Amino acid sequence: MDSLNEQFGQIYDQYIDKIYRFVYLKVNSQEIAEDITSKVFIRGWEAFQNPKEEIKNPGAFLYQIARNAVVDHYREKGRTNVISADASPEIADPGTDAQDKAVLSADINIIKKGIQKLEKEHQDIIIWHYLEDMPIANIAKLLDKPAGTVRVMLHRGLKDLKDIIQEA
Amino acid sequence: MAKITQKQIIESLNQLKEIKPRNEWAVLLKSQILAPSTKILVRIEKKQVELEAPIKQVKSAGIMDVLSFIFAPKKLAYSFAAVLFLIVGVFGFARYTVPGDLLFPVKKIAEQSQATLTGQTGLKQDVATLSSRINDLSQVAKEGKTNNIPSAISEVSANVKDLAQNLKNNPAQDQQTIKEIANSLKTLADVPGTDLSQNSYVQDLSQMVVQREIADLQKTTLTDDQKNVLTEAQDLYSQGKYQDALVQILLISK
Repeated sequence: MDSLNEQFGQIYDQYIDKIYRFVYLKVNSQEIAEDITSKVFIRGWEAFQNPKEEIKNPGAFLYQIARNAVVDHYREKGRTNVISADASPEIADPGTDAQDKAVLSADINIIKKGIQKLEKEHQDIIIWHYLEDMPIANIAKLLDKPAGTVRVMLHRGLKDLKDIIQEA
Repeated sequence: MAKITQKQIIESLNQLKEIKPRNEWAVLLKSQILAPSTKILVRIEKKQVELEAPIKQVKSAGIMDVLSFIFAPKKLAYSFAAVLFLIVGVFGFARYTVPGDLLFPVKKIAEQSQATLTGQTGLKQDVATLSSRINDLSQVAKEGKTNNIPSAISEVSANVKDLAQNLKNNPAQDQQTIKEIANSLKTLADVPGTDLSQNSYVQDLSQMVVQREIADLQKTTLTDDQKNVLTEAQDLYSQGKYQDALVQILLISK
């Protein structure tokens, strides 16, 4: 049991920032990001303790829970990502110092909102690849798509993001 | 926005790496998730409750805010909250235990405390406790928890003994209480696979209850059928078949 605690503690330390950031960029609210991230790690911990669950890749597993949790959040609230981004023209929360630094620049803020207007899968791929430095091959595994498809989606996502930003 | 290159976008995306969760929230979440006996989560509110905040605002704040408001050092507030949640969790869980379970004594303490708080003392408390213990026994028998049956029977037996003693010491009881005891004894007799009819305490209590019920019914106006059933109950009583007599009496009461 202690060993399980220790193992999950390490996974937690490794992924808490990544999962929070992933969720935050999708919901644009510190409060909601904290709630959803909490749920992600609770579900992760429950699965981790379950001997029937075989978790080969904890990161992929947590991201998958996070994706579903965000979808559930928008389904429950009857909102879409696009509406959420439009409804919050300013930064939703003052956030932490680090967060403040990240969003101080107006350009960064525009990019953040641009990400929220992207298609869901494009969002995921851009966040994973450019923010989390995840290789294309890993993203392909995570999405269960060929690497070539992911590469094309990444390219399209970036182009869409550029268009969105330039229209802003 | 003016023209922007993909390279600039990628550079800007890199800056978003600075987005991180609040450290105290992350630490608290980790400790809560990995805590051995509680899964209760508390989200730390970003804004602290200010001293001059109106009462309404304090009420709507998170529990951690309120505790932080009371206990200035946050660590103390978190420890207090953890202990509080642990106690609530244990008592909450104990409600669903049955005799023989580890937390059953906690359930008994909770019941006693509740009885004291609601002013339910003496014989009335014994009656309520007996009813709970019979429910426990019934649940144990229904769910086939064979390991718990001896403990459940022992609990019922001990409560019946207390109640019988209490009734002996305080014979002047209202008829409603006697009826409640009679119903409990009937429920006990109906619990499948746990025949306590020969238990001396159950016999004693049944005798007292039947005696009082017969005395009460004799003062009541009865139909011919009811009179016949009462006679039958009296016969059974004189033969020492108190539980059978009780069944007959309950038939009249219906």
